[in-house]
Order: sequence, then C-alpha cells, then structure tokens
Amino acid sequence: MTNLKETSMIDRDELAGSNGRGMMWVIVSGLGIVMTAGAVAGYLAAHETQGGGAIGTAGIVTLCVCAAIIIGLAYAIWRNVSKMKASTEGLTRREKLNRNIVWGCGLAGGAIGLLLALYDTSDGNSDTGALPIFSDNPVPPVIALMLAIFLGVIMPIIAWFWHKRAIDEQEASAYRDGGYYAAYAFMIGAPMWWILWRGGFVPEPDGVAIFMLFASLWTAVWFWKKYR
Amino acid sequence: MKNQLKVLRAMRSWSQADLGEHLDVSRQAVNAIETGKYDPSLPLAFKISRLFALPIEEIFDDEFEGD
Repeated sequence: MTNLKETSMIDRDELAGSNGRGMMWVIVSGLGIVMTAGAVAGYLAAHETQGGGAIGTAGIVTLCVCAAIIIGLAYAIWRNVSKMKASTEGLTRREKLNRNIVWGCGLAGGAIGLLLALYDTSDGNSDTGALPIFSDNPVPPVIALMLAIFLGVIMPIIAWFWHKRAIDEQEASAYRDGGYYAAYAFMIGAPMWWILWRGGFVPEPDGVAIFMLFASLWTAVWFWKKYR
Repeated sequence: MKNQLKVLRAMRSWSQADLGEHLDVSRQAVNAIETGKYDPSLPLAFKISRLFALPIEEIFDDEFEGD
C-alpha cells in the first residue's frame, strides 16, 4: 500500500524542484511591478506638467492596461510564493540561519541607503540622478566613519560566520563559481574599457558601474548555480 | 553523477528537507545532488554512505566501465 505521507512529501519535493524558477518569477514580477508603476507615475507627472485636467480615453485605456499588468504580476508573485512556501515548510537549521542572515543584510543595506539619503549634505545640484547609495555627494564625516567601520569590520565578521555556519557546500560551490566568472569579467572587462577610453571610443571608466557589473554577474551566476 | 539518493530517501519516507537535516545541508543541496546537478564532496559522500549504511559506489554511479 502506498504510504500517503511518503507520496505527499515526494510529490512536494518533485513539484518544488530547486525553487529557482519560482524565485526567478517572483524577482521578474517584482521588477515588472516597479517599472509599470514608474511608467504610470511618469505618465501622470507628464500629464500634470501639460496642464492637467481630465485624462482622455487613450490615457484611461493606458492606465487600465498598466493596472491590469500590475494585478497580473502581483498574482504571479502570490502564486509562486505560495508554491515555494508549501515546498519549504521543512527548512533545515542551516537554511533558517542562512535566510535570517540574508534578511538581516538586506535590512542593513536599506538602513545604509536611508542614512546616506538623510545625511546627503550636497546643495541639491550635484549628482542628483544617482541613487543615494551610489552617489558621490559628500556625507558628514561621522556618518562616513560609521559606515566604513560597518563595511570594514562588521561585514567581514558576518561574511565569515555566513560561510562557516550558514551555507552548505553546494552554495559555497555556487558562490565560488560566481566569483570566478566575476573575477574574469573584471580582469578582462576593466582594462578593455580603460584602453577603449584611451582610444577615445567610450566614456571614462566608472568605478561604481564596474563594481555594480562585478557584483551583478557574481550574484547572477550564484543564483543560477544554486537554483538551476 | 547518477545516484540512488532519491530511492534511499523514499524508502525511509524522508522529504528532501529531512535528508538535508540529517546531512546538515540545505534542501536545495539534496535536490541538486539527487538530480545530478551537483556532485557532493568526498566528506559529504562518506556522510551519505554512513547514513544509509551502504558503500559509496552503491549510492553513486560514475558510469565508469573498467576493464
């Protein structure tokens, strides 16, 4: 006779797989919502600057389509999160610790962004297009020192703890692979950009852009190797 | 690498998370090993071998056909 508990557990694991596809859909849907909401905000702002008044039929249709897209994407997030929740009812001790550390780092990143935005001492004219966390605008020395200590002292301790206690060997392997790809991209891409700039083909190399590309590639490969 | 992990796990009515807890790895790691997307390290292979009381070569198949 088939063991019901066994069947349901195996089916749930089969259904979940690595959860990578679900997570990818959640991320893509989230970005889609942010971009669609941005388009709506942009449209309304443009409408306002052109004198405001009643929105025409075309405008209403556009806004309705955007609203439908947002609702559809929100539904996709809900569906995928529900599936993942069903498959991850039994998180192992390491997974729980890993999840908590990742959430903690996310919150710390948000707090850093908030601090940089609140204590931006520029006169409002320079570098206004950049996100506060990537801006070159000056910040008070005390805030700069606090954040430098956090990044230089606290973060390495968290990273060491994360590597030693929270992640397992499969994730460590995915992380290493991400590091290889990112390191090669940096070692090849940065001098290439630099030499093309010297030849007058491209704008001057941008440290923040290089850092973002390096970090994004590392994260993308880590995600692919861990959840594929 | 092909392996018998899924069968051995099912025989004990363990979920991937249960096996992950026994091996001190994540459910994703168990899933990746079962589907052949990740080959475990030698220490983890020995751990699996001890857990199921079977030799490594009865759990993992490297598809080597020696003479």
